[in-house]
Amino acid sequence: MSEDVPVLRVEGLSKRYGEKPVLEDASFSIREGELKILIGPSGGGKSTLLQCINYLVKPDAGRIWLDGDEVVPARKRELYAYRQKVGMIFQDFNLFDHLTALANVQIALSKVRKLPRDEARKRAVMELERVGLKDHIAKYPAQLSGGQKQRVSIARALAMDPKVMLLDEPTSALDPELITEVLAVIRDLGLEGMTMLMATHQIGFALDLAHEMIFMEDGRIVETGPPRKILSTADCDRTREFCGKLTDLYGEAR
Amino acid sequence: MGELLFLQQDVFPALMQGLWVTIQLIIPSSILGLAAGVAVGAVRVYGHPLAIRAGNVYVTIFRGFPLVVQLFIWYFGLPHIGIYLTPFTASVLGFTLCSSAYHSEYVRGAFMSAKRGQMMAAEALGFSRLQLIFSVMLPQAFRRALPGCGNELIYLIKYSSLAYMITCIELTGQGKIIASETFRFTEIFMIVGVIYLFLTTVSSWGIRRLEARLRLPGFEHHRM
Repeated sequence: MSEDVPVLRVEGLSKRYGEKPVLEDASFSIREGELKILIGPSGGGKSTLLQCINYLVKPDAGRIWLDGDEVVPARKRELYAYRQKVGMIFQDFNLFDHLTALANVQIALSKVRKLPRDEARKRAVMELERVGLKDHIAKYPAQLSGGQKQRVSIARALAMDPKVMLLDEPTSALDPELITEVLAVIRDLGLEGMTMLMATHQIGFALDLAHEMIFMEDGRIVETGPPRKILSTADCDRTREFCGKLTDLYGEAR
Repeated sequence: MGELLFLQQDVFPALMQGLWVTIQLIIPSSILGLAAGVAVGAVRVYGHPLAIRAGNVYVTIFRGFPLVVQLFIWYFGLPHIGIYLTPFTASVLGFTLCSSAYHSEYVRGAFMSAKRGQMMAAEALGFSRLQLIFSVMLPQAFRRALPGCGNELIYLIKYSSLAYMITCIELTGQGKIIASETFRFTEIFMIVGVIYLFLTTVSSWGIRRLEARLRLPGFEHHRM
């Protein structure tokens, strides 16, 4: 893989619901091993952007390249193959309620990647160990805490060997202690070189690890830059105003 | 003493023969009806808009026509276009189509109450639409639909008594024959009724057993 080719490149992604544009002409790219953070007010288009990237929401316009190859979502097989390489983590976990933690991780390995049963199982156990849930593999989602559920969902995504992970406010539904355990897992992923695009308001985490911060509002990417700059000396007034509130709420930008 | 002999020699063998036909009608009709109902229900939730419309028309017709009229059409109507069904086949066909229309409503409701998030999660993992319906949505929908589908099974057991209208002599048909021969309508139809009660009781017990077996953490119902 050439150094110059980003893992993920997005050009002119747009989406409107009726008359209301929710995503307008979003363009960016992520290189291997980078962690980019999406911030911005609710309804600003962060979720829509993430969901358009793997076509969970069908964008009205825009092109996407993975490892330099353009994705053609109209070809179903290609779309399914592309989605396997783009891991997605949701705010409310979205585990399969009728399956144990182990089966949640195993099912896509068996059904989508068609791995033999034993191999799928072994891989699923390994991924659950990696997120620290070795002792909980037989539990159902209803028996797990929020933090544990989110870690299962991370294991489920990792088992598919994604090239890039999209994380949509993975800690917003969790209390502070659980946030820490989930962030620790994501931090390890980042340190291992996983390429990630993450919507979050955890600015401490962002300052420590993010390579770049993207501020979105009203469906537009307003400003992009290093986290420290965006959080304290952003060029755009609106970015400064929003980030000022964030730092007030979640503590000083260290 | 004569009474007991009459019951033993005439009534009992005839009713048992009828019961056997009833059971033979119910088993294929319930299995095929449920399978078709799940398929129609899934299509009506996840299908192409045209397929959804076709499914709705199907349900409107088979739920709207009186069952006995449907049976007449299959048995007396089809020969006009050169298709001859035995009374038994025509009955199973009629029961299956009608039952599946009702099942599809229970199944449709269960699919609709499924969380959109889990569909998105499956799609994001690269599941095809069919894979996600079968391996993610259906196992959950089935659990939610089961009480309703059990209800439909009970109905089916009772409306199988219409088969004798197209000369498929099952339990009710046998009862009617002996009753007309002996003019003992009350006793014989009491016995017939109790046999149906037995069938429906066993079935609802079976459904409850199945519900208990399929119960998972997060799917249990909570008492107030």
